[in-house]
Amino acid sequence: MPDNSGGGRGDSSVEKAREDFLSEAQELVDGLSRDLLLVDQQTRRGESDPHIVNDIFRAVHTLKGLAGLFGAVRMAAVSHELEELLDDLRLGRIELGVKVVDLLFRGVELYGELLLAEKGHAPEPTQAVEEFLFSLGAVTHQGAPGAGGQVAQYEIDSSILGVLTEYEEHRLRTNMKADVALYRIRVQLALTTIDSALDDLKAAARPHGEIITYLPTGSGSDADRIELEILMASHAELETLRGAFRGLDVVVEAVKKRGGGGSRSSQVDATPAPSVPLAPAAAPAQPPQDELDEAVVTPWPSEVAALSPKPVHTPPPAERGSVSPALTVPPPFPGVVHPEAAPGAQNRDLSLRSVSQTVRVDIRKLDNLMNIVGELAMVRAALGRITERARGDARLRGFGSELHRLQRSFERHLTQMQNGILEVRMVPLGQVFEKLARVVRQISREHDKEVNLVITGAETEIDKLIVEELSDPLMHMIRNAIDHGIESREERSLVGKPAAGTVALNAFQKGNHVLIEVEDDGMGMSPEVLTETAIKRGILKREEAEELTTREIFNLVFVPGFTTRETATDFSGRGVGMDVVKTNIAKLGGVVDITSEVGIGTKITITLPITLAIISVLGVEVHGRSFAIPLASVEEAIVLDEALVRSYDGREALTQRGMTLPICRLARLFELEAPPLSDVGARRPSKPCVVIASVGNRRLGLVVDRLIGQQDIVIKALGPSLRSVRGFAGATELGDQRVGLVIDVAALMDEVMASEKERIGVVEGARAR
Amino acid sequence: MRRLLVVEDSASTRALVRAIVEEGGALGACEVIEAASGFDAMRLLPRGPYDLILTDINMGDINGLELIQFIRKSDRHRDTPLVIMSTQSTERDVERGLALGANAFVAKPFSALALSKVLASQFPHAGQ
Amino acid sequence: MSIGTRKRPDRAVARRAADVGKRVEYVAFGLAGEAYAVPIARITEILKPLPITPVPRAPRVVIGVMTVRGRLVTVVDLRRRLRLREAPMDSRSRILITDTGEERVGLLVDEVLQVHRLAEGEIEPAEVLGGDPQPYIAGIGRPEGALLVLLDLRPILDL
Repeated sequence: MPDNSGGGRGDSSVEKAREDFLSEAQELVDGLSRDLLLVDQQTRRGESDPHIVNDIFRAVHTLKGLAGLFGAVRMAAVSHELEELLDDLRLGRIELGVKVVDLLFRGVELYGELLLAEKGHAPEPTQAVEEFLFSLGAVTHQGAPGAGGQVAQYEIDSSILGVLTEYEEHRLRTNMKADVALYRIRVQLALTTIDSALDDLKAAARPHGEIITYLPTGSGSDADRIELEILMASHAELETLRGAFRGLDVVVEAVKKRGGGGSRSSQVDATPAPSVPLAPAAAPAQPPQDELDEAVVTPWPSEVAALSPKPVHTPPPAERGSVSPALTVPPPFPGVVHPEAAPGAQNRDLSLRSVSQTVRVDIRKLDNLMNIVGELAMVRAALGRITERARGDARLRGFGSELHRLQRSFERHLTQMQNGILEVRMVPLGQVFEKLARVVRQISREHDKEVNLVITGAETEIDKLIVEELSDPLMHMIRNAIDHGIESREERSLVGKPAAGTVALNAFQKGNHVLIEVEDDGMGMSPEVLTETAIKRGILKREEAEELTTREIFNLVFVPGFTTRETATDFSGRGVGMDVVKTNIAKLGGVVDITSEVGIGTKITITLPITLAIISVLGVEVHGRSFAIPLASVEEAIVLDEALVRSYDGREALTQRGMTLPICRLARLFELEAPPLSDVGARRPSKPCVVIASVGNRRLGLVVDRLIGQQDIVIKALGPSLRSVRGFAGATELGDQRVGLVIDVAALMDEVMASEKERIGVVEGARAR
Repeated sequence: MRRLLVVEDSASTRALVRAIVEEGGALGACEVIEAASGFDAMRLLPRGPYDLILTDINMGDINGLELIQFIRKSDRHRDTPLVIMSTQSTERDVERGLALGANAFVAKPFSALALSKVLASQFPHAGQ
Repeated sequence: MSIGTRKRPDRAVARRAADVGKRVEYVAFGLAGEAYAVPIARITEILKPLPITPVPRAPRVVIGVMTVRGRLVTVVDLRRRLRLREAPMDSRSRILITDTGEERVGLLVDEVLQVHRLAEGEIEPAEVLGGDPQPYIAGIGRPEGALLVLLDLRPILDL
């Protein structure tokens, strides 16, 4: 494994290709997971959508290919077996039941573990792979294919048929077996706008059927336009289809069928072309031409034998003389749902669109862009100073005001660019929520409880970096909710609750923050039980327990050492306590709060800043050093009147607006030395100020030497070697290469205002680590 | 400087081909142009001529076979060496591709050596 | 969405082609009068000290943070870290920047000497110094008779 040295230096193209592989594979697996959830829902309702199974098949097929190319042997093996299973499914050889869906979910999990192993973050799941392959083998269909039925035959140009890939031909055959009509759609598109034109076309076509292939016709001499002939299978009538494409510049024609009879096409071809029936087995049952639908495909001359599927069992025609084209053919899946009715179809439409219009970006590139914007901001500031000098000089007046105008324009555009980049970093929380849906399913099966996951606000956006770090804490909270919160079916019915428990994930924006709530309707927590547990674990003494507010009691859950019963290890094999969850959220600049009601349920609220990247701050100076306090946490600033300061129990406070405001002198807390007198003398002495900060329900006055001013800054994280330093959320570049430390108000509050018990808890926790 | 057009919908496979061609030197000094789909390829074709076109077969929308047919009908690339990348299970597709005018094929998964050899074979009088 | 082309082959290709021998390049620097060295591949940049902002309550070995082209660098006093004699910074002081992947760390040294290409035969194991060698000593380099203490950065950066 490579050591930690290379920071991107000397990456060869092969290594880069491998990185691409890992991220492409991850995307494929994520897509698989989403599709599988849809399939799961449908299967429970007794429905199915062959499109999705096909998409899953293709994804696995692609994964197999990639794994092979990049030497991920186990992944290739797993993909190979999954591919067989999926092939059996889509050809109707086995049924899509709960057991099979479970297997597929297990496969997706396994992919996740295999990818982690490929990245070097975890050991190879050799054992798990063996077990999985074994269980797959038990399910995969071993015998000869059974699905039969008359194959309707169409007259298709050899020029099209000859360029269909095996897969496309399979799709064609499948549709023909299901007695779906074929259409030819001709269109001319400008190459420059082809992406959006295609999107429109696909969106118009999707509810009505499946596009088999796109064939470029034409000579290619025109560099700007291309002509396409699109082959589409659809249950719809010609007119319906024409209506669907109205507004798009296309010509829709039905592909003719051979012979007479009430076919779906609007034209009947009277002259049979030289032909060979697709299914040789159909020969013995061949009734007179004009009584049965029988169109013929003009095959690629040398490929006749290859075109026919494996021996097809042809049932004797139900009724001779019947004109109806609907020969009953067992559809490949039980209860095939017409595509447009499939509830998942709409969503997938939307997701398909967004996928084609998105770009995958390495977040490091975005960080880079932000840095450059930061430097531009310095340039702007310097330009500002020059502009002021120019304007102040009588000789340069005209020049100065023009410069000023330009500088203002520069500033506007810079801000726009900054906002633009920030927006790019924002991703919807839905990303994380989707992953959790799978977890809920799995955990509820493990504990044999029925749980509904309700999600609202998935479109709420937050910084990508935050999202990455959220899935573990959220997963842990949900696990807790299902494990300890939601009661068993019997217990629930005893108290009159519905058998299925509900876990709700809500996300919404509130000012500069995003709130995420994890709520369950389980048994809730009792303050009495919590305090007893805390006393038993030695976290509290009984007398102290009596002084706690309800809120503080609930927050005992976050004290290290509170839950000594380790919950079962999570995916990464670590036991995770709620205290770690709180710390992780704190690292993101957020806070966690918990409320509960016995018998009703529990709600955990996570409050996060929207972005880690740019924040508005109040600059302050303490003993000659500059610090920044996030404006979102600042209520107001007042001048410090020492006469009003009261001290007790080693702490200080002010009475302000009739309330007690604890204060903290930053110079003392940060152990800063007073700057040499010469520096101080240079500036007008100023009276110290108190910046009143508030986070949640807590308020704290920070005593500083003077206020500098408001600013928007790009905040950068401090490295791991400064992990032990408390009180800072990051740092920012000030002018002339100096650095200003950004204060983490919540952390300061924790430190300064910790009640004795909390402080003990923190110390014990630190000792235990 | 040779120009190779790679048509393949998987980004990591394209990256791998680029790595093999640029670092292996089988085609000498060679510029690799990537197309992510049949449509992309059609947009890039007028910016030729290309010395070699390497294409996957199984792509959505316009598949590799359709692309080969189109390329062979065009004036510019009628005789350009054309190599197919195929997944092993579709021998029939490879045969079709060759029948439509492709010159050679390399089966996936391919090793760097295999790909290099097949590409180099298209320039028998190679003076690198 | 057409994909463009790359005009230049990766620099890594050229680098690899040029040097496949068994010699490793080390950059030597002075600390409290002695010569030390680390593999140059681990060092991304060498600079004269820029303004360093102290971080309140940081570990003593961390002098503070500075910013280089918009990126934060944690500055560690290598003399303090190795418990050597410290001297005030002067015109010869330099900061060697190394990237751990998660963080950029700048190591303050008294002066930078030169780059040595050491062959395997010119490196002796740390035990040669006698006693129990510190974990951060990777070996002793002896280019043309000189003595270099080769450092292993991993334990050094683990604060």
